[in-house]
Amino acid sequence: MEVRGKAVSDPTIEIRDLRKQFRLSHTGSIKTALLWWRKRQIEHLEVLRGIDLEVRPGECVAVIGRNGAGKSTMLSLLARVYRPTSGSVIVHGRIAPLLELGAGFHPDLTGIENIFFNGIILGLTRQEIRKRMDEIVAFSELEHHIDAPVRTYSSGMLARLGFSIAMHVDADVLLVDEVLAVGDFEFERKCFAKIDKFKADGGTILFVSHEMPDVRRVATRCVWLSKGVIREEGSPETIIPLYEAGDLAPGVAP
Amino acid sequence: MLAEFKELWRFRELLFSMVQRDLKIRYKNSFLGFLWSLLNPLITVATMTVVFQLILDNHTPNLGAYIFAAYLPYMFFQLCLLDSSQSILLNIQLIKKIYFPREILPLAGAISNFIHFLLGILVLFAFLIVVYIFFPGAGGVRVWPFHSGIVILPLLLFMSFSLATGFSLLISAANTFYEDVKYIVAVLLYLMFFLCPIMYFSEKVYYSLFNSTHPWFYRLYNLNPIAALCTAYRKALLDPQPVQVGNLSDASGHLVLDAKGQPIPLMKDAIGMDWKYVAIAFLFSVAILLIGYHVFNRLKWRFVERP
Repeated sequence: MEVRGKAVSDPTIEIRDLRKQFRLSHTGSIKTALLWWRKRQIEHLEVLRGIDLEVRPGECVAVIGRNGAGKSTMLSLLARVYRPTSGSVIVHGRIAPLLELGAGFHPDLTGIENIFFNGIILGLTRQEIRKRMDEIVAFSELEHHIDAPVRTYSSGMLARLGFSIAMHVDADVLLVDEVLAVGDFEFERKCFAKIDKFKADGGTILFVSHEMPDVRRVATRCVWLSKGVIREEGSPETIIPLYEAGDLAPGVAP
Repeated sequence: MLAEFKELWRFRELLFSMVQRDLKIRYKNSFLGFLWSLLNPLITVATMTVVFQLILDNHTPNLGAYIFAAYLPYMFFQLCLLDSSQSILLNIQLIKKIYFPREILPLAGAISNFIHFLLGILVLFAFLIVVYIFFPGAGGVRVWPFHSGIVILPLLLFMSFSLATGFSLLISAANTFYEDVKYIVAVLLYLMFFLCPIMYFSEKVYYSLFNSTHPWFYRLYNLNPIAALCTAYRKALLDPQPVQVGNLSDASGHLVLDAKGQPIPLMKDAIGMDWKYVAIAFLFSVAILLIGYHVFNRLKWRFVERP
């Protein structure tokens, strides 16, 4: 069986022994850098400590865990915003990161201009964006505002536009960081329908969420991150009760 | 470096649309819009010309054009560097969320400033034609303002662009980690303005009292690639003509006055294009572009992790 020209068994995301350290150096100014460059103390914070994960086409993997467990860092590494300290991250195909809705919008440009700009960042050509323009505008339900500068948009409108662009760039991999609960109920329903279709078409989704109902609703697999390592991995039905129990158990470090 | 450049080429469409965005946003909410980038140098040059001709009694003919020709490349350099110091920090939210070659940000700023620079040169040409038609020189003799030296203009433009882009890459990377850099750059650019032949002629330096006893002074002065470039633009775009380097004085240093009691301008022949200094500036600008690109690529992955 083939989906989008690739054998289903080939993983789209391959993460091998992924580690990420951040420097917490306190050399913030030129003065300290010049005065103390010999004696400077650089503290390292190891956020990810050896992650191995494979995700195949058609899968929707939910990453759960407490704040600071390394979920967002992992997504940023997949989006190539960070470089791994060691280990490797390989993603086959086009990535559409939805790490923060409206991150790439410029407030003074109109909706249309921002669609072009965002689409190009995500790897489309002008021609391809022109072809999808009507669809993007229709899905975002912003027909009456699309020629206004986006600084006049509400946060819900920004979210709809960002989601709509990301869903229409023919991505192979969708990275979502806690941005699903943005629109009203009706739009959320539309988003989930779109995500289901994306999965059915062989797309790969990796998303971070604290909303367990959302995880149950869309995830096919659940990865519980804790202190930079994968603590448990399996179906949402088995992992979520463990996570909720472990999270609340007194005296047990999550 | 080649791999980095291939990656940049893959993202060329993003670079174009960043430039477009830059040009669009800059004057989006202003009434005169794009005209501002043309009005700004015109007003500055007009003011400088008034000061030099009427207050400082400089009687070089068509002085405005000479100031204009040197001020434009300087202004391009200055705007490029000042914009670049903020180019990463202003977009830090964007680069924290999505991947694209980070050098696109300072490059887009440099290119959009370069487009303004080219428009400025067109305004200079229009200025020269207006002067040719409406303000003939002494005795009503019209001298066609363009000469063959103009063929090296593309070379000078390339030098300006690579010099400004190289420094932009260095400054944008450095300012991301140490925000003192932008203040240092602003001060240095302000001082550099006086060390470049914009308000005066490089001949003035050559014929200066100090240089007559210390001939290394003029050489050192021209080792500054921006000063050499400003002079080169003047020589390439405008006719060489005698320039006023001071007022006539007698052996004891007292001014010689004419019948009306006015000082007599001391005119000297212009020095032709000095290719030696153009070549040095050329090597310097290519080197700074390569160094800037290399350093930027070494540091660009750390931008999002800055402490």
